[in-house]
Amino acid sequence: MRKFWRCHVCNDVHFGIHPPELCPTCKVLNAYVEISSAEAQKIFGMTESKMDTIEFRNAIDRFVVGNEFQVNPDKNKVKTLLEGIFNNENNHGMKYCPCRLIAKNFEEDLKLVCPCNFRIHETYQNKKEGECWCGLFIRRKSYE
Amino acid sequence: MFHGRECPHCIVMMPVVDRLEKETGIKIERLEVWHDDQNADLMRSYRNKIEPKCGGQLRTPTFMNTETNDILCGEVQYEELQNWATR
Repeated sequence: MRKFWRCHVCNDVHFGIHPPELCPTCKVLNAYVEISSAEAQKIFGMTESKMDTIEFRNAIDRFVVGNEFQVNPDKNKVKTLLEGIFNNENNHGMKYCPCRLIAKNFEEDLKLVCPCNFRIHETYQNKKEGECWCGLFIRRKSYE
Repeated sequence: MFHGRECPHCIVMMPVVDRLEKETGIKIERLEVWHDDQNADLMRSYRNKIEPKCGGQLRTPTFMNTETNDILCGEVQYEELQNWATR
């Protein structure tokens, strides 16, 4: 079961089964201690971090660097998808994929948050022209 | 047809559905699921039928014949949609 962990040096928070050995923020070894979800929420609430479509686009552009996939070069498709992703965040709380419907089970629905783990999906895995369900991410040609 | 307003696959399928309706006279009810909670609940109520045919997901677009429970999902060619609608 995944838990929250806090770096006792810099307050970096990790959510996972095990704490990181090395804190990626302050680089201290064995610095994490388990905390409650309420404590984690307070730490997350310290900073208001709203993300607009431009910032999200920048984030996914950084995300694909060094990966075998890229953001779809079809600008109209990407524009439509980003509109849907942000409408879903505003209306349903998370950046859910506009091409699948949530089940209304939060943990299950986390699998639909963009970017999802599309590399295991039938539309991407073992396909030369693979793409995620919605087509926001496509396999790079150089990886064919 | 369960669809999402900002789902590119659904947008592609709309003129295909228009053509099917025009050529066959079959009426396809279009239910948007991301901006209409009733439609979303209706799609979720068919979860056990839709998911096995749609990669374990409630994908859009999903075409469902409520009389036969025949399901087709995703972006498909006109002929495939026509086969689904007329079989």
